[in-house]
Amino acid sequence: MSGRIVVGYTATKAGADAVALGSRLAVASGASLDLVLVLPNEERSVITPPDPGYERYLRGQAEQWLAGAADMVPASVEHREHVRYAESFAEGLTAVADEIGAALIVVGTAQGGARGRHTIGSTSTELLHSSDVPVVLAPKGSRKTDASAAVPRITVAVGTRPGAEALLQTAASLATSTGAAVRLLSLVTVDLPPTVDTGVIRLAGAAHADDVLARAKAELSADVPTEVVVARGDSIETAVRGIEWLPGELVLVGSSRLAQPRRLFLGSTAAKMLRELPVPMIVVPRALGPSVPGATHPEEGGR
Amino acid sequence: MSGHEGAALAPTTDQVEGGLSKKGLSAGTVGLIGAVVIGISCIAPAYTLTAALGPTVSEVGLQVPAIILVGFIPMLLVAFGYRELNNRMPDSGTSFTWASRAFGPWIGWMAGWGLIAATILVLSNLAGIAVDFLFLLIAQVTGTSSIADLASNPFINVTVCLLFMLGATLVSYRDMQTTQKLQYFLVGFQVLVLLVFAGGAIVEMLNGNAFDATPFDWSWFNPFAVSSFSAFAAGLSLSIFIFWGWDVTLTMNEETKDPDKTPGRAATITVVTIVSLYLLLSVALLMFAGTGKGEFGLGNPDIQDNVFFALAGPILGPLAFLVSLAVLTSSASSLQSTFVSPARTLLAMGHYEALPKKFATVSPRFFTPGYATVVSAVVASVFYAVMRFVSENVLWDTITALGMMICFYYGLTAFACVWYFRKQWFDSVRNVFFMFLFPLVGGVILGVLFVSTLVDSMDPEYGSGSNVFGVGLVFVLGMGVILIGIGIMIWQAVTRPAFFRGETLSKDAPASLRRRVA
Repeated sequence: MSGRIVVGYTATKAGADAVALGSRLAVASGASLDLVLVLPNEERSVITPPDPGYERYLRGQAEQWLAGAADMVPASVEHREHVRYAESFAEGLTAVADEIGAALIVVGTAQGGARGRHTIGSTSTELLHSSDVPVVLAPKGSRKTDASAAVPRITVAVGTRPGAEALLQTAASLATSTGAAVRLLSLVTVDLPPTVDTGVIRLAGAAHADDVLARAKAELSADVPTEVVVARGDSIETAVRGIEWLPGELVLVGSSRLAQPRRLFLGSTAAKMLRELPVPMIVVPRALGPSVPGATHPEEGGR
Repeated sequence: MSGHEGAALAPTTDQVEGGLSKKGLSAGTVGLIGAVVIGISCIAPAYTLTAALGPTVSEVGLQVPAIILVGFIPMLLVAFGYRELNNRMPDSGTSFTWASRAFGPWIGWMAGWGLIAATILVLSNLAGIAVDFLFLLIAQVTGTSSIADLASNPFINVTVCLLFMLGATLVSYRDMQTTQKLQYFLVGFQVLVLLVFAGGAIVEMLNGNAFDATPFDWSWFNPFAVSSFSAFAAGLSLSIFIFWGWDVTLTMNEETKDPDKTPGRAATITVVTIVSLYLLLSVALLMFAGTGKGEFGLGNPDIQDNVFFALAGPILGPLAFLVSLAVLTSSASSLQSTFVSPARTLLAMGHYEALPKKFATVSPRFFTPGYATVVSAVVASVFYAVMRFVSENVLWDTITALGMMICFYYGLTAFACVWYFRKQWFDSVRNVFFMFLFPLVGGVILGVLFVSTLVDSMDPEYGSGSNVFGVGLVFVLGMGVILIGIGIMIWQAVTRPAFFRGETLSKDAPASLRRRVA
């Protein structure tokens, strides 16, 4: 895969998590990395007078930080570094991703929260609201995983809601490029309004799970080894906790049905999953933009 | 940018491809209105005038309007020098970097120290004024006047002030900005309220409701009517304070949309607005309250450190809360723009190893000089808390000492401009004025003001009359700050000699361009 992965970098542990996970995905899928550090645009500064001297200093510091980030990337991975000026971190990353036709945006989520778990900060939230490219959330501690560790399996959380085509498309191309197996996870039994009584849940679960999974499986290419699992539990949290996770595994979830087409938005189910997940999560927009992981993009390779 | 080899703070690295940054730095983002708004909000006229009017009246009496006009001259002259240096060596260390380049590390270090000390003094004064008006606002809104008196309880005052400082530090550290619209609104509101306030005072006076009706006289604009030179000098150093911050509009250059026209126009519009406001307000308040020592007289030492606080009620009645609101918002936004300047100078000093490297660290999440910001806040807070208990009239004494420190480092900066460009003075007629004459005259005026204020302030009766062992508190403050600076400088020279040997920031004087061409 000749795709490009944008890594949203800050000189923090969260940034190191993002670089490590981005590197691992790049190694596994043969993609190249674009490490992006977003600096605040002075246009937003309406109180403090602009100071070109300080901006130059900041620019130099940003380049130093990026050089440090570049050192974390394994030698085998092609990488470029960019300093970007934007209103916000999310805006800068989505703009870069759009320009270069990136397949994924990777960001770290650690600012507080338990090791190995996700906590979504305001910047990640903004990104999830605005990106039309799948966003990879690196949980705290991702930097401690070896970059050469393979991606053994990709678990796709399938619900009852629309958006599954884009999700499966992403899963299929990621699986092909990384050589990972696919596991389809049905959340039907738990992904229902709490008012529906348990009997109905059971019934719905039995009927729907098989149906949805069968359709999903059919959409995946026959070359991809696919297994199917139905999550059980009173709540999303217990259901996710009850599932076996492989080290290095990835989870794909679709964005909320509340999101505008082609924009990401983390639904309540995904948000609940996120808190429990010990592995990186990829949030896929409801409908994909022109750049699909694995698919060749007209602008790619030209730069 | 030929003239600042080695002077740019940013280490240049070629290993990083920056091809994606659409615009280099912030070139061309500030328009005319934006520049004027930043200028006015940096000066914070509502805050500066309430803090400086009383002390100025105590020095020059009715001639306040004259002093305001005259005070602008050295400010303008020095600002020209500032602009030359800023165009040649844009550097966040400003006075520190420029004076080091012109005169070497020792004087450069002290110029940086002067800037930091002045901004820390103003931070504590700003927060103090804000606390007064916060209590006044609550009292006005709730209708219980006893709440306003709580501000004079030192424990309550210091606690609330420290909370203010904490809030301002957080805002600065995280670089939270308001929206442009809100900022425009706040500045517009501030100007409008001051106009209403001045208008109210004049109307009340004409209706015969003034506290001490004093008919207007043109002699108020005559600087030669001031009683003595030392009163004149003290008044001038105070009026320099009220224009402090104006220079940012002039030095904004490559950031403006039209670098040839915007900075000049913005600076002109800003200064015309500010000077008109100051003159109108000072004349109006003099007409209403006179310079007597009565309850609301501008000569009353009890109200002099914060005149709007005392006069808003008698003049505007139920609308007085507008003044409190205007001063509060003006202090708040000024607090943030003021915080930036010591933090960036400390950062530059850390970078050039004139201070520990830690000062040069930038927050990786908020891209602000984090460590330097926190240090400035802590020092300003401790300073305010100590002063509140030592001084009888902390706001007054800090303002006077502040005027002195501004004269000190602005003066050094002006001389740095003159000396740095010594080989280019006669390259053109423009250079003769802007690199030689203007900053030289400005620097000399500020130098005279500094020395004269310093000498006069030894008198224990000087300013608010606070003294330490029979020596005026303002003198102790000014001298103390400078001596502490020298002490820390020597300590740094011993532990960190590289900067003081000129290894990190060398002396320089750009060669004449004319000779090079010939």
